[in-house]
Amino acid sequence: MNLWLLAPELSLFFTAVVVLLLGLASSRRGIVIGVSLLGVLVSFVFAAFLWSGTPQATFNGMLSVDQFAVFFKFIVLAALVLVILASADYDYKVEQVRAEYFTLILISAVGLMLLSSARELITIYVSLEMSSISLYVLAGFLRDRRSSEAGLKYLLLGSVASATLLYGMSFVYGLTGKTELGQIASAIQSLSLSGLLDNPALLLGLVLVAGGFGFKISSFPFQMWVPDVYEGAPTPITGYLSVASKAAGFAAVMRIFYDAFGAPSWLGQNWGLLFAGLSIATMTVGNIVATAQANIKRMMAYSSIAQAGYIMVGLAAVSMGQSVAPAARSALAFFLASYTLTNMGAFVAIIAFSNKTNSDLIVDYSGMGRRAPLLALGLTLCLVSLLGLPPTAGLIAKVYIFNAAVQQGLLWLVIVAVLNTVVSAYYYLRVVKLMWLGNPVSEEPVPSSAALRTALFLACAGILLLGIVPDLLVRLSETAGHSLL
Amino acid sequence: MPYQLAWFIWTLPVFAFLAITLVLRPFFNHRPHWSAYATITAIGAAFVLSIWALITVLQSPDHLLAVPRIEWAVIDGFTIHLGLLVDSLTAIMLVVVTGVSLLVQIYSQGYMHGDPGYPRYFAWMALFTANMLGLVMADSLLFMYVFWEGVGLCSYLLIGFWFHKKSAADAAKKAFLVTRLGDFGFLAGILTLYFSQNTFDIEALRTAAAAGAIAGTTLTLAAIGIFAGAAGKSAQFPLHTWLPDAMEGPTPVSSLIHAATMVAAGVFLVARMFPVFAYSETALNVVAGIGAFTAIFAASMGLVANDIKRVMAYSTISQLGYMMLALGAGGLAAYASGGSLPIEEAISLGVAVGMFHLFNHAFFKCLLFLGCGSVNHATGTFDMRYMGGLRKYMPFTTLTFVIASLSLAGIWPLSGFWSKDEILVTSWNYIPVWFYVALVTVFMTAFYCFRAVFLTFSGEYRGGEPGAHVAAHSTPGHEQSHMPHESPRVMLVPMGVLAVLSIVSGWINLSGGFSSFLGHSAESEGGWLQTLFGVFTHPLPFISLATAAAGIFLAFAMYNRKWVSATAVGRAFSPIYKVLYNKYWMDELYQGILVKSFLLNGLFRGAQEMDADVVDGVANGIGNTVVGFGKGMRRMETGQLQGYAVAIAVGLVAIMLGLYFWT
Amino acid sequence: MTVGLQHYVVLSAILFSIGLYGTLGRRNAIVVLMGIELMLNAANISLVAFSRYLTPPALTGQVFALFVIVVAAAEAAVALAIIMTIYRNRRTIEVDKIDLMKW
Repeated sequence: MNLWLLAPELSLFFTAVVVLLLGLASSRRGIVIGVSLLGVLVSFVFAAFLWSGTPQATFNGMLSVDQFAVFFKFIVLAALVLVILASADYDYKVEQVRAEYFTLILISAVGLMLLSSARELITIYVSLEMSSISLYVLAGFLRDRRSSEAGLKYLLLGSVASATLLYGMSFVYGLTGKTELGQIASAIQSLSLSGLLDNPALLLGLVLVAGGFGFKISSFPFQMWVPDVYEGAPTPITGYLSVASKAAGFAAVMRIFYDAFGAPSWLGQNWGLLFAGLSIATMTVGNIVATAQANIKRMMAYSSIAQAGYIMVGLAAVSMGQSVAPAARSALAFFLASYTLTNMGAFVAIIAFSNKTNSDLIVDYSGMGRRAPLLALGLTLCLVSLLGLPPTAGLIAKVYIFNAAVQQGLLWLVIVAVLNTVVSAYYYLRVVKLMWLGNPVSEEPVPSSAALRTALFLACAGILLLGIVPDLLVRLSETAGHSLL
Repeated sequence: MPYQLAWFIWTLPVFAFLAITLVLRPFFNHRPHWSAYATITAIGAAFVLSIWALITVLQSPDHLLAVPRIEWAVIDGFTIHLGLLVDSLTAIMLVVVTGVSLLVQIYSQGYMHGDPGYPRYFAWMALFTANMLGLVMADSLLFMYVFWEGVGLCSYLLIGFWFHKKSAADAAKKAFLVTRLGDFGFLAGILTLYFSQNTFDIEALRTAAAAGAIAGTTLTLAAIGIFAGAAGKSAQFPLHTWLPDAMEGPTPVSSLIHAATMVAAGVFLVARMFPVFAYSETALNVVAGIGAFTAIFAASMGLVANDIKRVMAYSTISQLGYMMLALGAGGLAAYASGGSLPIEEAISLGVAVGMFHLFNHAFFKCLLFLGCGSVNHATGTFDMRYMGGLRKYMPFTTLTFVIASLSLAGIWPLSGFWSKDEILVTSWNYIPVWFYVALVTVFMTAFYCFRAVFLTFSGEYRGGEPGAHVAAHSTPGHEQSHMPHESPRVMLVPMGVLAVLSIVSGWINLSGGFSSFLGHSAESEGGWLQTLFGVFTHPLPFISLATAAAGIFLAFAMYNRKWVSATAVGRAFSPIYKVLYNKYWMDELYQGILVKSFLLNGLFRGAQEMDADVVDGVANGIGNTVVGFGKGMRRMETGQLQGYAVAIAVGLVAIMLGLYFWT
Repeated sequence: MTVGLQHYVVLSAILFSIGLYGTLGRRNAIVVLMGIELMLNAANISLVAFSRYLTPPALTGQVFALFVIVVAAAEAAVALAIIMTIYRNRRTIEVDKIDLMKW
């Protein structure tokens, strides 16, 4: 057992405790944010060391530290940096409890990082809850009518989902007698089933587990909490929920359904087909309802549902073919990285706008191109990347994931996804059009703080960099996709 | 030329665009001229590089400037290449596009002087040019399609430049929507080719088509799809309706659109993918037929238009029809000659003839539009009924306009004569039906063109009525005096340059140089002086010249000497006049059938809720249905968390049942 | 009659269903929360039962159940806190009245 393998999580957790204690003495913004960012940096350095190591399992196979896990730790850390910067200008609303706010964010990040490594049912459940409970609190952090409603909805529905997940896990455990994913896989193979219906308990467990994670990754029909929670939660938390928690959820799904339920191949194909079907429903519902939204946070919520649908195309592709395809896993990792930058960037811009205008209505974005050209430019870039136009990371991500799906014989799914992309142009470009061609509601410029501008700049630079020289990240995600233990 | 420099040809204008939007406009808005300088410098440099590229291509034995492709992204065996294809076709287009664009930008400094959107104008012009340059240089259809859409987007922005004016916003929207219809065809064509050959690479697709690897229905479908895209951009019937309305943009924009950039893209596309067309007789017939029909159809509408820019717009459509006819006829030559002319020869024949006309047309049409702009600058109107007598006030504009008109009418020895003559010869030789159509068009062209000349420049000045256009076009810098005056020198110099080009550009091919550069070895008839005069050894030029002269004479009789009263003629042929004046009711047809009954009354009631602008416009059809669904489906989000929990529970049961019955 | 594994599994299924009913059907947020706790306990029962009957020497299931109990306690604490703020804001904890955000 090597504690160094847990260093990114441990250091981040230590930072969280330090921030909490600091809060007793001083809750000055600079100190709290500075310490948090420093902790993220330390954790990042540890993670970078792990990246160059060999994949290995630790804690008796409970955690696996492979490049795939480390890749998702990077994603969580990147989201963390952006959310901390984005909160810098938002935390006037939580001034009394600023330290707690950042502590909770850090702890939820620790949970998400553990989740991306976890390969044992108890660990998966505990790390999932570790992040979820922090996020429940954060969603309701403002304690006003909307925020507390978001918190309650998220908490109750999230608990239902985790109870479902747990019940499913109990059947998997009952069927195999194991909780470690690799052992579950061999136990299932030794059952020598020839179809899902040979053992209804397996069907039950599989579907309940899928449902529990479907909630986390906002797949149809478990996505209904998303718009309400995203609308009510503090905007930085909304951004964080939409990227980090989703990314780690996908990492866990990938690990569970590949490690434990990936073999025999008919089983893999079954759930591949299931995810393909859910993917179509998810992206279609997300895109179609997004067109009818008037509130930009709600629109982004539906947009993130739609994006989850695209990511599930990659999930379906992993095991749809005769063999498991590492390419699809790499594509999924790349897509999530690009999506993290893009969505966080968009939310940073939204925070900057609403700080000034106190409104999240899309109509109030009219003429923003004149009131805040740089912010509007950043938001435009993010929306264009979400849509998947050149020269942004979003395009590469879509091409990457769709290509992986086509190679696994999922052309029909890709056609549906492309049609969906066309629909999504409507609502993304509507905002862009309104910002640049609409008449400003007022001529007053929209100022933004240095922290927000830094966050937006980082996100946009990443989007463009990955869009123009995608090879940088493609190599990393290929390593990640092939490294899974 | 070092191949790396080729990249700069299209990226330089992009840099200009970025410099204007990111630096000049935010920080130096009080110095709008810097934006103009940025654009002019970038395009000027691109022009120099283009000339260099042309020389390099001319000198290289296989007429190709090899640019190694950049591996942009390798994604599990699927490689996206970025590459440039600089062959003779591209090199010619590069010089035309950068050259014309450069002159237009210089001219715009005068025309747009004092407009509050001055930097924005130059930013978009730079982007527009960049996209067009990218389009002609792209080596893969995918890459090309990106620029293709970029051109569409920029044209939308530029046509709607004065977006506060409803007619301009409408025109921009129309241009965007109509060309988009064609783009669906283009996209379908691209995908057909991709699924057939598994590549987007243009060179590979051309080779595959020539080798017969794509054949039969697939080939025809792909060709017709691509032609639909080309027809949208090049305003071919029935997608021509946007071009006359596109006049709402600033006149230099029209000039650029009509001469070198947007509309040329369609013809270029067909020329670029011509091997795909040449092996399908059906596709060739479609191209030639639609081209010839558009030529005569548009010319007939030009006969009666009163707005000088509209006359020119119809003329452009008609001339583009000629180019399509040239391409189609050239390709059909292989089939009509009964095998004596191999298809490879026919391909180069069609491309050479079509591109030659595009080349000449770019100069004289650009000049005509700059002339219109100059006239408008002086009189404040585009309506020819309120012009007249400008010869006295604007001698230079008159001179250049007449030169361009003579060239357009196809009068020897101006450039238009040479390329039109080649088209007539080709169609005469291979598809005589279209020859007669083309000949009638020659007559009409000469007539409407000189009708415009006489109405505008001869007779007495009719007062430049401050009509609808003035309100929009007069900008703080345009001080309207009572009497028209000649335009500033910054506008006249480009016109002078173009006038010279309108005379001489046709002479390049006198000894077949242009054609052979494009791979067509023309039967050389000695030196160029010999050809210059020796052309009349054949009777055909006499016929076309006589026809053109007759058209000019009729215009002279009706509008200068008034021997024949134009109103009387109008009355005598009143039904025809009405049909033409109303543009065959095409707009009403589209409006009535497509918009009213289809969109408004029937399926998509949501249309009324949409504000009329392009992004909504794109979605008007499918969009409203989608939004309608969206509005319905959002009702599922009741805000009741227990409702959501029920969805989770029901969803789980449904998934279980689904798996139970499925597997 | 000897009590066997299937009795425990059926018990846990019944408990899960009752919990689900409470979650979906009752209006009071506290009762909804109790429903969720029942669902978690149903899972605990089946975990412990499977562990006892299927993998007798190993205590994996029991350990799992212990973790679940701890997590459920934390969840309940947070839930009660949020329900408190809801009550302060609106003077009600009827979940069907909490629908400020919809559509």
